[in-house]
This record gives sequence, C-alpha cells and structure tokens, in this order.
Amino acid sequence: MNSLKPGSIFLISAILRVGLILYGEWQDEHMEVRYTDVDYLVFSDAASLMASGQSPYKRTTYRYSPLLAFLLIPNSFIAASWGKFLFSASDLFVGLFIRIILKQRKVPDHLCTYSMLIWLFNPFTFTIGTRGNCEPIVCATILWIIICLINGNVVQAACWYGLIVHFRIYPIIYALPIILFLDPRFFQSGVKPLLCDWTSDQGKIRQINSQVTDQFDVWIAFKNIFTRSRILFGLVSGSVFLLCTGFFFRLYGWEFLHEALLYHLTRTDPRHNFSIYFYHIYLNYERDLSVLEKLISFLPQFIVQLVLVFCFAKDLVFCFFVQTVAFVAFNKVITAQYFVWFFCLLPLILPWTNMKFKWQGVCCILLWMGAQTHWLLWGYLLEFKGKNVFLQLWMASLLFLAANTFILILLIRHHNYAPVFRQHTGVKTTQKKHE
Amino acid sequence: MASSLRSWIDIRSEGKWKSSRAALVLPLAPPPTIAVVDIDEFAGKLSYSMSTRHCNRLCLNQKLAILWMFLSGAIVSSSEVETSRPSDSRNSDDGKYILRSYFDRYENLDDSSFENFMAHELSPSLCQVTPENRDHGVRLSVRELSLVGEGSHRQLSSSIRLQTGAESIPELPPHKCEVIIIQRLPLGVFADPFELQNLHKRIGFRDVAVFGDTNLELPSFRSNRSAAEVHIDAGSDILFTQNSGMEINMLLPLHARYQPLDESGYSIIEIGEPDILTRCSMEGKQHKQSCLFMSPNDSGKSRTRTVEWKIPAGMKAHAGFVSVVTFITASLSTISIVYASMFWSGTKVPST
Repeated sequence: MNSLKPGSIFLISAILRVGLILYGEWQDEHMEVRYTDVDYLVFSDAASLMASGQSPYKRTTYRYSPLLAFLLIPNSFIAASWGKFLFSASDLFVGLFIRIILKQRKVPDHLCTYSMLIWLFNPFTFTIGTRGNCEPIVCATILWIIICLINGNVVQAACWYGLIVHFRIYPIIYALPIILFLDPRFFQSGVKPLLCDWTSDQGKIRQINSQVTDQFDVWIAFKNIFTRSRILFGLVSGSVFLLCTGFFFRLYGWEFLHEALLYHLTRTDPRHNFSIYFYHIYLNYERDLSVLEKLISFLPQFIVQLVLVFCFAKDLVFCFFVQTVAFVAFNKVITAQYFVWFFCLLPLILPWTNMKFKWQGVCCILLWMGAQTHWLLWGYLLEFKGKNVFLQLWMASLLFLAANTFILILLIRHHNYAPVFRQHTGVKTTQKKHE
Repeated sequence: MASSLRSWIDIRSEGKWKSSRAALVLPLAPPPTIAVVDIDEFAGKLSYSMSTRHCNRLCLNQKLAILWMFLSGAIVSSSEVETSRPSDSRNSDDGKYILRSYFDRYENLDDSSFENFMAHELSPSLCQVTPENRDHGVRLSVRELSLVGEGSHRQLSSSIRLQTGAESIPELPPHKCEVIIIQRLPLGVFADPFELQNLHKRIGFRDVAVFGDTNLELPSFRSNRSAAEVHIDAGSDILFTQNSGMEINMLLPLHARYQPLDESGYSIIEIGEPDILTRCSMEGKQHKQSCLFMSPNDSGKSRTRTVEWKIPAGMKAHAGFVSVVTFITASLSTISIVYASMFWSGTKVPST
C-alpha cells in the first residue's frame, strides 16, 4: 500500500472512469436496461433547450439550477457524454481535495492513501459519476469550501458556499456550523489560522484552550456572534446566493423558483423510498396534512441538527459528516444518490476514529448494507412482483433508520474529537505555513 | 423484458405485399401542409368506371376522379395552439396526431367525449366508402388484448389485423398507409413519453406520442387520464392489392401510478381495446392528401374487451398505527443521537 503513489492512484481511477463511461455508452446502445441514469437524460434535454435559447424548465422533471444545464450545453455540440466526463472529473477532484485536506492536517501518508482509495474505488461513487449524476460536483465544491476555511480564506469560501446552496439546497445545513467555526480566536484579520495536526496519540486529548469546554465555547460564540469573519461570510454567501437566484429568476421567472427551489423545500413524495415517512405520507396523501403534523415531522430533523452542530462545530469536518448522515436519515425522501453527500466526507474523518476496521468497521458496513438490501428486497416484491408489502417495506425503512442511527452513534463514540484550529500563542514566529 | 422489446412491433403480412419497417422518423420536422380538397368539382367524373384500364390521355383524370371519390376530404393542418398540459413539448406535428386535435378541443380525456369526437369530428377526414365500393379500402380489428409482465411495470400487448378489401383499386396513384393505434389509458396507469421516444429510436416505427396527463410522479387520485398514439408503417400501395392481410403485434410499456387507498390492499384497473385507424396518404401534384379508414364497428361502440391489472394500494386501516409508530421511531432515534452527542462530544477536560 505504501508503494502506491498518489499519481498512480489518480491515473488508475481516471482510466476506470473513462472505461465505465465508454462501457455505459455501449450498454445504452445495445441493451434494454440503460447504464445512464434517467436524470442525465433530463439534464441533457434541458441543456439542449437552453442551448437553443429556451427555458430548461420546459423539460419536465428538471428540478435543478440552470447552472447545471449551462454546464452541460457542450453535450449538444461536443459529445453527448461531455457531462459524464465533467462529473467524473469532479469525482477525481474530490479525491484530490481529500488528499489536500488530510495532508494539511499532517495525516501520515498511508492513512491519506487509504482515505483516497475509500473514495476513488468505492463502487458506489465511481458509478454515480459515470452514470451521469451531478452529485460529485456538489461534493467537490463542499470539500473546496472546507479547504478555503482551513486556510482562512473566508471570502472565497463564502462565494462558493453561496453558489452551492443555490445549486443544491441541502448545504444550507452547514451554515450554522461554519458560522460557529469562524471563531474570532482563530480567525484574526491578516493572520492565517493554525491547524491542529493529526497525532498518533489516539485517545489523548487535543490541546485546546483548556479553560473552556465546547459547550462553553458555544455560549461565548452566541455572545460574540457578530464578528468580522462571520459577518463577512454571511454577507458574501448571502449576496452570491441572492445574485444567482435573482439572475435566474429574471431569466426564467416563477417556473425556475418553483422547480429549482420551492419543490425541494415542500417535496413530499408518497412513492416508496428509504425514508420512514413514505408510508405515512402515502396513507395521508388524500387529505392534506395539518400544519401541526408537518411541524411534528420536521421536529426530529431540526433537533438533531441543532444538537450535532453545537456539540461538534469546532471539528468542522466531523460536524459536516454527522449532520449530513442525520439529515439524510431523517429526510422525508431518501434516494440512493443522497448517500454520496456523506461518502465524500467519510474519508476525511476516518483518520480520527478509534474504530478498528476489523471487526467493528466491517460490522458497520455489513449492517448498513444489510439494512439497505433488506429494504430493496421488499421494494422489489412491491414494484416488480406486484405484491402488497407496503407494511413490510415501511418496517424495513424503520430498520434502515435504526441502522443509520446505530452506526452514527458508534462513529460519534469512537471519534477523537479534533478541533481543526488551535489558538495562536503570543509568539508570532510559531506560525507555520501549511501548503 | 428482452423478448418483449424485440417483439415490440412485430408485423407479419400475407398476400402480395410485404410489410416494411418504417425508417426512423423523429417527429421533429413539420409535416407538409395539407389543403382542403373540394370534391364537388369532380363529382361529375364519377361516371368513369373503375374498369377502365387503358392508360391514355384521360388516364390521369380518371385517376384523379377515383382519388377524389375515395379520398374525399383531407386533414387540414391544425394551427399551433398553446396548451398548458404537461404532454410532450413538440408542437410541430401539425395534423399528424389525431389525439392532438382531440386535446385541442377538450381539456381532459373522457370516454364519451372521445367517442363523440371519433364518430363525428373525424368524419370529414374519412375516406368515402359508398355502397358501390364498400368492398374497397381497409378493415382493422383487434384480435387479442393482454397484459404482459408483473408488478408496476408491464406491457399491454395488442394484436391487430389489417385486411384490405375484396377488390383492389389499381388506378390510384402511389400511396403510403400507416396504422394509427390510439390507446386510451385509465386513471391508474401512464405511459412514459420519454421511454417511448427512446424505444422509438431503437425499435423503429413511424411516430409515437403521449397526450394528457403525463406527470410521472403523481398518484392516480391527483392526476388525469392520458392516451398514447402510435403510428406504424403499413406499407406502400396496399390498396392495389385485394384481400391481403397484415398482423401487427404491439407491446406498449405502461407503468402503474400509486392508487387510492383500498381496504383489500389492491386496486383493479381496466384497460380497454385501442382505437385503430388506417391513414393512407398520396402525393398529389402540389399537396399531400390523406384520409382515414375507420372500421364501421369502431365508431361509437363501447369496448367489449378489457384487461385487468391488479395494483397494490395502501390500506386505510394502517393509517393511524403507521403514523404513530413512525413518529415514535423518529423520536427514539433523535433521543439516542442527542444523548450520544452530548455524552461523547469533545467536552473532556484535558489532563495537562
């Protein structure tokens, strides 16, 4: 493993992805079951509509920002699989960013390599880009935002953050931890923040301002909420978001607002999916749910997000990870592509976990996949055999939530809480450059 | 699924002419505009009998007379009408699709208004079949109707027989005929227009479109009906031959919507026979004219043959229990995560 150079890893990953894209084209032509995701056809159609000067929302089920259609305009005149190459390239960028982040925190080479391999050779991740799903772009942007933040580039991070929230709504959940993270003790003007390095002393406590516990930090944070970097981040990201949204609203009107934004906020899909709420939504679809009922179903999500943020904000990457897992698990609709949102963050937290791969790690993986497979079996019976197994399918989704919760708790328990930054000491010469 | 797609269109023919698979034609280019034909001018030419076989100076006029006799009327190209229904976005198929004319007049698909439309509003476009030439033309019938497959995604298999008349009409100019199959779908199922377009490119038949409510995501109690129209090439010059037949087997992929709740746990929907017509068109001097053959027993008569599809539906009895257990589970998960986070977050005081 130590002999695997990053360059070769990237080369092999790139070849694998190119090969899969070409195979996908072949399969689409010659077999009934397409390799390409249905969503990719939607993006391509919307892009060709945009290329001919029309609104991409004329394509039904196109529910993304016009930016995505814009990125895929070359589908019409370069190659139909341009988009897939773009997404797979983003996929490779995610691998690169994982390496950059871990190297900046002085993680040893072999752990860096493992982390990269976990992303680049995860069957789920390389199929998602090559099938034409746009999630790798979102992952790459999130990781780039993390890189900007740990390097102290607040403005750049804010610009990308505003853009990515416009592109895909879910990163809004990261707003609060980022604000808390921009602690004035670490973010001083003109001075790059100091990173806490990974150490091999797993289980020992990190050096942190020993007079405060994390909850106390949060209390101070509340009192000092209006600091320069926080206001800057909020203003810049908010402006970028409003600019993008306003610009496209100007171009495409209410249709853009409904399809790209409001749909995601109010989406309740009664069709079966991994979420525990699907059967409840289906059984109550004929009557509209009351405001109280809607609020109650939102409450678990809200509470969990708040608590996770306040407990883990300083360890930003871990906070993002646990938030994303919880967000996906408690969401009203869960589709398989959402899992990529936390898969890209998993390699970043693994160097700080006490969990041994054998056998705790293996058990967690088997438990998660087992719960998923169990659900898929009932889903197959319902959809492809026409049996009424709604109740069993719903129970399988309860089990899936239980598995997600259990694994999340295990990861929290075995995580070495590692705040990203440490405070500058009085002597300026101790400042290190992290390249 | 594999075999069903290969035999999606299976055209077998008897008689002198062979069936031909249409070349791939994407319905993107507008069809040529078609003029209204005035038959009165040529009524006088009815005296020319069809037995005249010598091709002389009058031959052309004879052909035209017979042409007007049989192909009176023509489909007028319809103007572009903005519609708000979520059907396919191609508006350039003027006059090609019968269903478009229907949906231009009516908002939603309804059996009685559709049968009314077929019986009355299509009559100007019908090929005139007088008592003398009753044995000419084309007859269509549905031989078999069945549902293939299991689960929420199945194919509707229909077997259609096309039979030309007892006497041939050799004096007609060259013409091309196509079979138009209109499958009205009940509320509980839909056809995916994008899937059909994809199949169209792969398998090859003339045209296909879906009209009505093609929203793929809504459950049936929040959606409206839809209908699919498929055009299949029936060959050239078929009216020249007599007593020839052709069989078309079509498999139309359908998907079930989520059904309204039912105590039994299943919802049974019925799909009826398709409406079938033949459209023959010929190149005139300046314009292309066409007319429709509709079998006499098609217009107005209710469908007798149906297929049943049993689709799983949620059970109302589950509603209370499911909601309560869902929220209890969500709450338990929440509490465990909150507890774990607070207990195991980085609140340890260092021992330095």
